[in-house]
Amino acid sequence: MLELHLTALHLEDAHHEDPAATRDRLRDHYPKGATRRMTQLGLLVGSTLNPLNPGQDDTLIYASGYAETRALEGFLDSFPGASPTLFQTSIHPSAVQQTLIGRQQPVHAFFPLTGGARLVEQAITAALLAPTSRVILCGGEERGTWMLEHGIASDRTFAFACALSTSPVGAIARLTLAPKSQDAPLDPGLSLGEFFDHLRQHQPFSFTTASGRQLSLVWS
Amino acid sequence: MAASPAVRIAACETITGFGDTAETLAALLAGRSALRPVPVLGPDGGDLVPMALIPGRSLDETSPPNWLPYLVALVATIPGDNWGQPRRPVIFTSSNFGVGSLYAYKTTGETAHLAYGTPRGCLTFLVKQLGLGPNVTTFSHACVSAHLGLIHAGRLLDAGLADDVLIISFDFLSPFVSGGFHALKILNAEFPSPYQKRPAGSIGLGDGAAFAVLTRDRGDFAIAAQALHNEMHLFTANRADGTGFAACLENLNISGGGRRLWLKGHGTGTLEAGLLEARALTERFPHSPLVSWKGGLGHTLGSCGLVELAIAIAAIRQGRAPGTVGSQPEGIVPEVAFDAFDTSAFDGVLCTSNAFGGAHAALLLTHA
Repeated sequence: MLELHLTALHLEDAHHEDPAATRDRLRDHYPKGATRRMTQLGLLVGSTLNPLNPGQDDTLIYASGYAETRALEGFLDSFPGASPTLFQTSIHPSAVQQTLIGRQQPVHAFFPLTGGARLVEQAITAALLAPTSRVILCGGEERGTWMLEHGIASDRTFAFACALSTSPVGAIARLTLAPKSQDAPLDPGLSLGEFFDHLRQHQPFSFTTASGRQLSLVWS
Repeated sequence: MAASPAVRIAACETITGFGDTAETLAALLAGRSALRPVPVLGPDGGDLVPMALIPGRSLDETSPPNWLPYLVALVATIPGDNWGQPRRPVIFTSSNFGVGSLYAYKTTGETAHLAYGTPRGCLTFLVKQLGLGPNVTTFSHACVSAHLGLIHAGRLLDAGLADDVLIISFDFLSPFVSGGFHALKILNAEFPSPYQKRPAGSIGLGDGAAFAVLTRDRGDFAIAAQALHNEMHLFTANRADGTGFAACLENLNISGGGRRLWLKGHGTGTLEAGLLEARALTERFPHSPLVSWKGGLGHTLGSCGLVELAIAIAAIRQGRAPGTVGSQPEGIVPEVAFDAFDTSAFDGVLCTSNAFGGAHAALLLTHA
């Protein structure tokens, strides 16, 4: 069985907050002038990631299904005079890079994931397989505009960052991936937003993953 | 800190602007380039820039995407079945997925394009089209994406969570991507000449897709070590002292002593990054021949790590490695190999890739 202990958790539930309001609200969290080019998702991911003081030897796992939706929309709107800044910030995993470049904080192992239905379990599995003693699992989404109207963007804005440790000292929750019968029926799993809600409400979960194992979160 | 345990490669193939693996290797050995001048925005025009599209494909966006048949044909050659089931996970890696479809929607207004435009939509479509099960993981980290898939596959195998792992990596060009690189001023009318001393740098872009089946105990090649490092210094440049490149090589936890390696670098054709990379590689592995193939293939973006791994395997099997196509003496370091060479004198090849944010990845390919 693979396990990690959740020792710290930071959340940002911006829901339908306008990017300008997020920028104003979080201005003091960043060096002067730094927020001007940051995306809403970058601001929020940074707000949750910074208190964990990511270090070079941490493994960093980042999950986002839609990632930099606003920058993507803006870059597409900028054609034919394509914007280099929006191109750069639209590329996954820009939100984390905005934060760590701002901190000038290198990290050896950085695994950005994307995807759909199984994103949460795959990101947690990547965290559980990391060989370092501390893993930071972070993620989030930002609410789209015209892409949301077409159902291809998140309808809410949020971010999270969890410190996961191989040591149980100071743990507030425990994540496990345990063997199960290979014939066990596949559960629907959690969307990234549902995972965020479980973290926010300190709710446990347990479900059968596509790898045929049981993934569980149990709070202390 | 090595990122992944050693794994074996049971199968690994690619498609590029030249065709399949054999066609690609033959063309590179002959010193040919697949790069051609193409309007940067495809049918919407713009400056001519070097691109290497899969033979028969245009930069037009269609619905479904016109690259799909090429990916389907590649996937049809993957040995085995039941991919995506609990013990046979699939890892997709890409930088751009079907993002060209969003550009197509914006220019045509046809909503049919939208289904493929996001990674989520593109993957949902691909999993169904390719008949895969639900055990699918997706990494996207620009031009080191493929390396993340290979590392994660090694960890799945090492932890006993899989019997075999399939990694599929793809990036097909679109005006979205070429327009973006053109806006960054590194994609222009000049053709790339990786590792060549010249006054200005430039890159070319290429279509690329590849797969690898990794196992614990089958296949005549092994990935003996893998490593990563992310500088997080600047988005589109590296630390000027080259320490980011050196840190990744340090993390490989191997030494050149006793090993005779050749070096397949990232080598897009940019000057500064090319020089930093070449210096770091040849300081760590002096007198090892250094090549880049992006002057022939173009930069195949998120797929480049796996595309070039497939070519390296084919080259070692054939006993000849292509030189640095598109470049000519004088090189930025003496170790740059411009011509094809015999691989029989070497124990393995070190393959590297780099990406935005100062991301670095490296793997050591050896005989099993």
